[in-house]
Amino acid sequence: MTTLRSSRRRLSLTVVAVFAIVGVFVIRLVDIQLVQAAQLTQAADSRQLRTVTTYGVRGNIVDSKGVVLADSVDRFDITASPKNAVAANGTDGFTRVNKDGTKSHVSLTDAIDEISQVTGIDSQTLTAALTKDPSSDFAYLVRAVKLSVFNKVKALHIPWVYSEPHPARTYPNGALAGNLVGFIGTDGPLAGTEFKQNPCLAGKNGTSTFETSADGVRLPGSTVVVKPATDGGTITLTIDSNLQWFAQQILAQQVQATGSDWGTAMVVRVGDGHIMADADYPTIDPNDLNSAARDATGARSFSSPYEPGSIMKPATVAGLVDKGLVTATTHVDVPSRFTDGLPAGSYIKDSFPHGDMHMTVAGVIMNSSNIGIAELTKLESEKDRYANLRAFGFGSDTTVNFLGESSGAVASPGSVDAITTVTQQFGQGMSATSAQIASMYQALGNDGKKVPLTLIASCQAADGAVSYPNSGPTTQVVSPFAAQQVRQMMETVTTQGYLHNQITIPGYRIAAKTGTAQVADGNGKYGSDYIVSVAGLVPADKPQYAVIVTLAKPDTIKTSAAAAPGYATIMKQVIKTFRIQPSSTPAPNTPVAW
Amino acid sequence: MSSVAVARPLRQPALRPAAAPRRHLEVVPTRAQRRARPRMLPALVTIGGIGVILVAQLLLSIVIADGAYQIASLQSAKHDAELQQHALSEQLDLLASPQHLAANAEALGMVASGSAVYLDARTGAVSGAGSADGGSMLGSGDQVGNVLLTGTALVTPSSTGSGNTTTTSTTTDANGDSQSSTDAGTGGAGQDPQTPGLLPSPTTH
Repeated sequence: MTTLRSSRRRLSLTVVAVFAIVGVFVIRLVDIQLVQAAQLTQAADSRQLRTVTTYGVRGNIVDSKGVVLADSVDRFDITASPKNAVAANGTDGFTRVNKDGTKSHVSLTDAIDEISQVTGIDSQTLTAALTKDPSSDFAYLVRAVKLSVFNKVKALHIPWVYSEPHPARTYPNGALAGNLVGFIGTDGPLAGTEFKQNPCLAGKNGTSTFETSADGVRLPGSTVVVKPATDGGTITLTIDSNLQWFAQQILAQQVQATGSDWGTAMVVRVGDGHIMADADYPTIDPNDLNSAARDATGARSFSSPYEPGSIMKPATVAGLVDKGLVTATTHVDVPSRFTDGLPAGSYIKDSFPHGDMHMTVAGVIMNSSNIGIAELTKLESEKDRYANLRAFGFGSDTTVNFLGESSGAVASPGSVDAITTVTQQFGQGMSATSAQIASMYQALGNDGKKVPLTLIASCQAADGAVSYPNSGPTTQVVSPFAAQQVRQMMETVTTQGYLHNQITIPGYRIAAKTGTAQVADGNGKYGSDYIVSVAGLVPADKPQYAVIVTLAKPDTIKTSAAAAPGYATIMKQVIKTFRIQPSSTPAPNTPVAW
Repeated sequence: MSSVAVARPLRQPALRPAAAPRRHLEVVPTRAQRRARPRMLPALVTIGGIGVILVAQLLLSIVIADGAYQIASLQSAKHDAELQQHALSEQLDLLASPQHLAANAEALGMVASGSAVYLDARTGAVSGAGSADGGSMLGSGDQVGNVLLTGTALVTPSSTGSGNTTTTSTTTDANGDSQSSTDAGTGGAGQDPQTPGLLPSPTTH
């Protein structure tokens, strides 16, 4: 009996002891795993975890053929630790082990000279950067160097020299499409497509974490991506970079030759409203933000409205033909002055003096008669005329939605005097941008169907998903018959107009219109300056491309003849570039007088 | 009477008849007992196996650790190669810019073409009016600036072979022997001596 009891007691003691020990362990476990978990993990992580920023690369901007217009590139900042460079005890320099195993002493000045030699920064600047705050552990020596320079600096093996990646932007084609591409400042995109399409282009930086061994090597399988970096998307523009270069080159030559203030040249594909070239002069080289004046950093073709003048006349006439009021051969009596309905003393005249003339509507276009257009406005109500101009897109932004785009101005009925309601039908007293004019000619060339003007073809995200920018609706502005009639009238400008020697291209039927618009002097009157332009559709019977060249305030020739050579050269290049075949039928012989 | 005692040789004693081997008796283990007995071979195999596994694990971790260094060095090599590739494609984009191409083309004496003439392969009809060449595109110089091209050398006929280190070209003489332009730089500045005034070009058949 006694043995049994004692063995029972021993057993229960053991059990209690075991439970007690297990209990202690459980308490310690809870303490470690739950109570102190956070700080212990943190302590462990701080010893072996490294978090690095992974950079999302900003997307490129490319032209319609994939030529890179804006490119993200790797640059490097060379940094240094002044604290380590200038030793506290006065002994500077370090011992370098050469390739052949020999050792040599490199003093601080030697090291600075070596850096100066490979980076091209003079040694005084480098010394100044190092000695500015000798106790600091960080100083920039050279910023944004290229890979070749960076590799040379790295090869110097100077122990107190470090580096940082410095993502940068470069524009390999320079000023080519600089007006459209825009540029980036230190704090982000500032102009053009870079700014407007930033949501598509911008990449997002991410972070990833990994464990390292004592010597800094990443432990296998330990990488944890906390937040993945996403690269930016690629913006494809509709332009053709070769044609764009040609247009810019010719435009620049013409602006200089005529002493103009500025010029624009636009080529638009009639079928889909794609802008194939949009040249501005002067324009900026986005690689060098000082290469242009502040007002030349954008695209004037979108942001600078001007009184376009006679180049507007086809829009007015198209509206009249659309309503069945006239055709190309309708007779118009053109007096020497137009005074009907105008305040006493006011009159509208033509650019050339004449007596009473008998013109057809085609003749009004060919002679660019203001009086003829004024006579024709009598056929239509003010409201209808205004609606027609609005339908062609005047007075509202184009669908390109370019940064700083202007919508120009068209006077609504009743808002202006009697003269302006008439003159705005031939492009005076209203304003439009080159882009709006191009859009109008696109509609005339596309049988009256106005498709949204497009500069941004697409945005392709890094994952391959392609999105297209919101574009406006396609509208039938005038009937195909009206558009065809107006083109027929415009052909007389090429065949019989006063510039026909300069704008005719052998073998091609081209519908063209010139414009010589007076420029307001800012005091409510017109000064002696003009904005001259020539627009053309090729080929006239089935247009494929619209070309519009505009020069502002030329000095040497103050008529549209100033813009004609540039227009003809660009038109020839468009024909060559896009392989437009010669017309198979001759231009119709449209009567211009009766 | 005397008698001699004669000892009789004893016969070889007869061997004791061989005793029948004693029968060995032992307790036959039951099947269960036999199965329960520790067996040497499996034990050795098991212990050996454990040893092999431990050694393999050790070696594996050594290899993996070594691989980590290799991965790290390859990743950094890949990164360097990518940087190199970016730098080179950046340079290529620059050299492919229209400004650079046009300047080079004109430096080599090229002019813009005139208007195109089309031949209809089906009917043999020719359409379009040909025109004289378009002359120089650059005229008064390149008007579309590109600051990045500053200092970029042009390939000119006189620069090939005249010891200009920035451009090199290979000319082929009439015998089909390829010669480096640096060798040909003595007199004709890299041009084929037999056809002076022409651009160096390969002989084709």
